[in-house]
Amino acid sequence: MTKSPSSQTLEQVIACPGCDLLVGRQHLNPGEKLYCPRCNEVLLAPKKNSIERSLALSLTGLLLFPYAMFLPIMTLDTMGLKNSGSIFDGVISTMATKHVFVGIILALTSIFFPLIKLALLFLVSLNLKLKRHPKTLPLMMRSYIHLDEWGMLEVFMIGVLVTIIKIHHMAHIRYDAGFFCFVGLMLVALCSSAMLDEDNYWHLIEEGKRR
Amino acid sequence: MNNPNDLPTGRRQGLLLCHDCHKLVPAAESTGTCPRCGAALHLRKPNSINRTWALVVTAAILSFPANFLPIMRVDFLGTADLSTIMDGIIYFFKEGSYGIGAVILTASILVPCFKIIGMTLILLSIHFRWQSWLRHKALLFRIIEFIGRWSMLDIFVIALLQVLVHFQNLTTIAAAPAAPYFAGVVLATMFAAITFDPRLLWEA
Repeated sequence: MTKSPSSQTLEQVIACPGCDLLVGRQHLNPGEKLYCPRCNEVLLAPKKNSIERSLALSLTGLLLFPYAMFLPIMTLDTMGLKNSGSIFDGVISTMATKHVFVGIILALTSIFFPLIKLALLFLVSLNLKLKRHPKTLPLMMRSYIHLDEWGMLEVFMIGVLVTIIKIHHMAHIRYDAGFFCFVGLMLVALCSSAMLDEDNYWHLIEEGKRR
Repeated sequence: MNNPNDLPTGRRQGLLLCHDCHKLVPAAESTGTCPRCGAALHLRKPNSINRTWALVVTAAILSFPANFLPIMRVDFLGTADLSTIMDGIIYFFKEGSYGIGAVILTASILVPCFKIIGMTLILLSIHFRWQSWLRHKALLFRIIEFIGRWSMLDIFVIALLQVLVHFQNLTTIAAAPAAPYFAGVVLATMFAAITFDPRLLWEA
């Protein structure tokens, strides 16, 4: 083992999380990506105005959230019988059957985690924007990263589409406000994750800690 | 690239990489937690191989009840009709909806199989120190990580059908016994991808 390098040299180096290769940090313009030369993992992907965009998108998501979850997404009409339901109803009715385990997973992946993710991203971005550094900031950012893949709104969206195709010839479908709110929420949540520049966020969190 | 032992890596330089915030910390100065984000620092994810094996085997075992038990129950005018995942897919193909049939076939059957077989291949390759095709195996792992969540699709569809197709005594739809096993397969494979440390591939 060589002598441990100073912290300043360490900031000029990235270790690839995919293969542990040490790669020199490069200055990239927003939109460019740095790939690991050995395993092709994305090492850096700076985004333009990451904080402002994540802030705006997560706020939009939070505002859309109750409408997307509680408003009925569609009304089915067959032989004079009408029925409608929201995303929330879908989760609750599964919880109410004997499949509680499935209900809990549904509640977590389609309601709870997406909401927590938006809220965490909003709080972290807001604090960074206002240059405030509460002690819980690193914990919030870490929680966001860990929850990232557990919010499954996009998967649910495809589920809605499959459902429509399954039932469109057994009943007349009327799309309600909840459907459009849900599509909006899904897109906003997707974009907010895509706009997040993790490396920059961590860099700013560290700078704030030093001050 | 000829001699992999000459390449500078975190391990050879005595550097720990934080799993959460990707900060580099010299092992000699480490206090066990990351100075930037507070996550526990490890050279490699702890017990990565054993945990991943356990989860992959769990997923493989749960696949059997998930695929052979009925996953959805349709009650139409008092008669119950139970269908497995495969029945649902065959139904779409018979109806001529090939596109949607292909989507469900991919999400519910091909993706879980791909994840289990892919992770087994990666784990075996570490166990037997197969050092060829490393870049491809790294790519395989990234694909497995990415597609993990998409197999939840069928569960979401059933939850929605259950609420929307509910016309008094005419027609009702409910989840059937395979649903929790199916969700279990998805969870186990997702956790397997989380516990696995891809850097071990390069050190086998």
